Parts: sequence; C-alpha cells; structure tokens
Amino acid sequence: MEIPYVVTPRKDTGLFNSKIAIWLFLASEVMLFGGFFSAYVFLRLGADYPWPERTLPVLPGLINTFVLIGSSVTVVFAWAALKMRQWNKFRMHMTITVVCAGVFMVLKGIEYSVKFHHQAVRLHDYTVVEGHLGYEMEDGKHVLDHHGHHIEENQIRIEATGLTFSTVRFHADWVEEMITQAEHRKAKITLASDIKARTEEGSSEEVTIAKAGEPLSVELLKRVQDAHLKARAHNGALRTAALRQEWAEAKAANPGKRGWQLASNVNIDVKALEDSKRMLTEISTASFKVEPAARMDFKPRDVKEGATQSRLRDDTVIDGKMLASPMVFHNVDAIDFRHLAMKAVEKGQDPIVAIENSWLIKNDEFARKAWEWNKQEVAKLEKKLIDEYGIDEKTGKPKREPTAKERYRLGWQDLARKAESEGHGKLGAVERITEEFKGPNYEARGKETFPELSVPREEIRFASKFTPSWNTYYAIYFTITGLHGLHVIGGALVLAYYLLFGRKMYETNPEWLANRVEVGGLFWHFVDLVWIFVFPIFYLM
Amino acid sequence: MADTPEAVQKSIRTYMFVGGVLFLGTIITVLVASVPWLDVGHHGFDVMDAILGLAIAATKASLVAAIFMHLNHEKKAIYWIFGSGFIFVIALFGLTALAKYDPIHDNFFYDGKPAPAVEK
Repeated sequence: MEIPYVVTPRKDTGLFNSKIAIWLFLASEVMLFGGFFSAYVFLRLGADYPWPERTLPVLPGLINTFVLIGSSVTVVFAWAALKMRQWNKFRMHMTITVVCAGVFMVLKGIEYSVKFHHQAVRLHDYTVVEGHLGYEMEDGKHVLDHHGHHIEENQIRIEATGLTFSTVRFHADWVEEMITQAEHRKAKITLASDIKARTEEGSSEEVTIAKAGEPLSVELLKRVQDAHLKARAHNGALRTAALRQEWAEAKAANPGKRGWQLASNVNIDVKALEDSKRMLTEISTASFKVEPAARMDFKPRDVKEGATQSRLRDDTVIDGKMLASPMVFHNVDAIDFRHLAMKAVEKGQDPIVAIENSWLIKNDEFARKAWEWNKQEVAKLEKKLIDEYGIDEKTGKPKREPTAKERYRLGWQDLARKAESEGHGKLGAVERITEEFKGPNYEARGKETFPELSVPREEIRFASKFTPSWNTYYAIYFTITGLHGLHVIGGALVLAYYLLFGRKMYETNPEWLANRVEVGGLFWHFVDLVWIFVFPIFYLM
Repeated sequence: MADTPEAVQKSIRTYMFVGGVLFLGTIITVLVASVPWLDVGHHGFDVMDAILGLAIAATKASLVAAIFMHLNHEKKAIYWIFGSGFIFVIALFGLTALAKYDPIHDNFFYDGKPAPAVEK
C-alpha cells in the first residue's frame, strides 16, 4: 500500500502528513517541558533552604551547548544537502550530528557520575559538609560486601545478637549480605527454635519445616515462606467460604432485609475454624541467633536504628546495641554554612555567632581555620567592591556586597585556593581543566586541601549523595536534564537510522528521504531549543 | 519556503550566520554571568541576571525556531498547533504565579530577610 502525502502536500493543510504529525508532537513536547520548567520556578520560589545557584560546573555545560548548537547547524545542512541531491555531503553532516549527540551524552554521563559519587551531609545545626567518603578497611585491606564491592564508611554498626525476618518481606540480597558479614566476623547465624506447622488440612500433627540450629540461608527462609504463603492462601479461602455461608444463612433467616441491615450480625467464628484443625499454621516471622554477637553494618537508608533494637526496611528486626557509626569523609571538599545562617537570621540571631558556635567549627580545626580564612577573604572582597562601586549616598551602604554564597560557603575551589595560598596542592593546567569535568582531584591536591573528617551519627540530620533525594534542586535538575538526555538519545537514533539505512530510499525517492530528515531535524532543533534554556537556568542562575 | 534546491542553496549562508549568532549568544550568556564588570544589578546572581540570561536564551531559541525550524515562513496550520502548545505553557506558569500570591499559603514560600553583612 502506498503511504499518501509523504512527498506531495495535502490540499487542506498545504503540508505533507509527517510534518503535521511532528509539529503536533512538538506542541505536546512544549507543554511537557513547559510543565517541568514551571515546576522548577515553583520549587525555586518555594525552597526553604538556600537554593544552590551557580553550583554546576560551567565548562562541561558550555561545551555541551556548543555541541548541540553545532549539531543543529549540521542537521539543517544535512537536510539542505539532500534537497540539492548531494548524498556525500548529507552523509558527512549527518555523521557530525550523530557524533555530537554522542559527545553530549558522554559529557552528561561524566557530570552525572561525579554527582552520584559525591556525598553530602546536613548536620543538626544545618551545617552542610560535602566530600568523598572513605571505604571500610581492616588490616590494610578493603572490606568487601557479598557482591565483592567496597563498603563505604557510612554504615550503621550494630552488635547483632539476634535477627528476626519477616517471611513475606525479607530481601534476599540483604540476607546474603548478613551471612557474608557474619562469616567475616567468624560468627554463626542459626535458627533459634524449631519451626513447626500444620501443613495439611485436618492433620493433628505438625510438620517440622526447619530445625533449631540450622544456619541462616535464603533457601531456608524461602522454605518457610512457601509454607506461610500456602497456609495464608488456604486460611483465606476457608474464611471467605465461612463468611459466604454466614451471609447465606443470615439472608435465609431474614427475608426482605437489606445487606447493610444484616452486616453487623454477620461474623465468622474464627475460633471454631481453628479448633476444627482445618486451618494451617501461618509463620509470619523466623528468628535466628547470632553467636558470638557480631558487628553488622547496614546502609543508613536501609535501617531505622535504635539503641538496643533496629529494624530494616524489609521488616527484619535486629537485636543488639548500636555501636559508634560515624560517617567518615576521606576528603572534605566543601563546607556550607548558608542554611545555618538562614536559620539563624530566621530566629533573629547573628549568623556569624551561630556559625562560630556550630558543631563543625567547635570540633574540627581545619574547618575553624578555613572559616577564619574565608572571613578574611570576604573582608577583602567587601573592600574591593566598595573601592570599585562606592557607597550608596542615600542608604550609606556599599552599592555592591558579597553574596551569601561568598560569605558562608567554602566550595572546593575556595579550599583549593586556600591551600594553594599556603603552598599546598598546586596543579598544572591540564589537571585543572580535568577538575572542571571530574570534580576535585583529591590525590593530587592532598589532605592539606581536602582533609579527613569523621562525623558522629548523632550529629547527622540528613545525608545523601548528590541525587534527587538530596534536595528539590537536584530533583528537578535530574528530571529535566534526564528527560532532555533521553530526547537526545531518541533523536540521535532516528538520525543515525537515516544515515545508515537511507541510501536505498535516496536512490528511489530522494524527496521522501529529505522530508524524513526535515522531520527528524525539527525534533533535533527542538532538543537544542530546550537546552538553550536548560543551560542558563541550571548552570548560570 | 526554501523548498527548491536553488532556494535551499541561498539559505545556507543564513544557516551559517544564525549558527554563528547562537555561538556568540552562548558566550555572551556566560560572560554576563561570570565577568564582574558585565554583571548588571547587584553583585552576584539577582533578578536582573535572570532577566538578561532568559532574554538572551529566548532570542537564541527564537532564532532556532524561526530559521532552523523554518517558522519564519510556515503554513498557518503549524502556527496554530505550536501556538496552542505555548498557551498551555503560559497557563502553567500562571498557575505557579497564583500559588506564589495565594494569601492563604503565603508562608509556603521563603521570603526571609537576606543575611546581614559580616561584622568587621
């Protein structure tokens, strides 16, 4: 069947069909991205914390802007080449476009990766510390989890004496991890008591499903789970059947009465059911002993810790006292007092006094020195701004003043500048440019620039990587740039298809291919158009 | 509309020129955000920087739409389709503005005073 109006325009619209289709799609895309930009404005205006303005590295964003603009030019050149029936030129321009899409995604991937490996912690007094976490070490070697991965030094440590699993909700991966940890600490996790259950209706004897002393395994828990689920389904069916019978009897005894009038008197006799031995045994939990008591580490997001008993997200209960569980930064690369200052101002307090009474300043010498250095830098900047822009005659205040970010935040560039002024961690030009993409170079700059810091668990209000969970800024940043990235991938695939498989169509119906490339190109220009707004909004504002 | 090969050939220089303007616009956007003597308004980011940055971005976006996407000489149907999308976007931004000025929920937005200067 011939597809109509792929080359010639329809009389009513004056356009070939796919062009109408792409513009309808682009109109919906405008609404989609418009909605997200609207959400950005909403979140920014409504933020109850200092919005992290101008926080993303500009250089990768700038290069990506150039790359997308360049690809927008080449895709229109590719279309023009087809219109002029110049296949080789089309191939060249389209290849550049697809390569540009690849470069864009690689740079975006690096940007995302840096964020996913960068840790932040908000303390109870609203000080924010950022940096790179260390890994658990024992006898000079990294401790590995059961997947063979390093374990970050940001764990809740519990001296476990007992574990109780929910047989329905237990997470097999965590069970494996607990077994690995127990083996590592030379402890055994064994079933605390026999698990017996009635597994057949009417049977008076209980079957032993697992014996006390059996070592913990996923297989054992699944065995118990199977018995539990079978019993639950069986008992549920029994209860439903009994209830149906009750209803039937109630309706027969009270003809003409409505359901709602009978409902309060229709009940099933659960005890009678249980006594009839028709019900099977449901086993909702399984308890294990840890002998000898052994330290077990859990990710903070997975556990609700308590002094003597903690609970994992899969409802596993861990008996045992919580040990000291500090979050250890091997390299601190930013100290941010903006949120603390904001809270102090809200309470009518002097932010400087509040900062100087913060846990970090009181307990960490590096932070203290860095803060003093920053105060001097702010004073220099204030003087510079007065010298350059003067004082407002009406108010008597300087026309320009340092920003809250300059006053209260020491970013990694500030810490590097401080260390360099003291003769530490000077880098070459290439290493500096690399830092713009990959973030601070901890090894080259050393501990004088980015020192260690151990934060006690009780000081932590909230901790996260720089992921959507850290704050609404990163939530909307990942939403918009992620969605945009998906559009780049989708657009590049379509354009690559024309490049790789377009030759046959070019030879048979070149105008059709030109129209297809025009439609693909329109989408690509739209992707560029969105980025034109994303770049200043996220990287420069 | 640049549909014939001859007309397309003539448009090539326009495309190159617009590409150049877009590159230049990007550089200007970065410069006004990072070079102190080009900083309008207060020191650091403020509403003036936002207006200027968005104005440059809107100009660049208009160029892409008008020249690369050929909206400067399109059929009526396309203006209607694309325009209707924009109306919804403006309505969405209007909803945000309504939320901002809703007197019942005025505490939702942080309007705290700026932090005072460091004491000398």
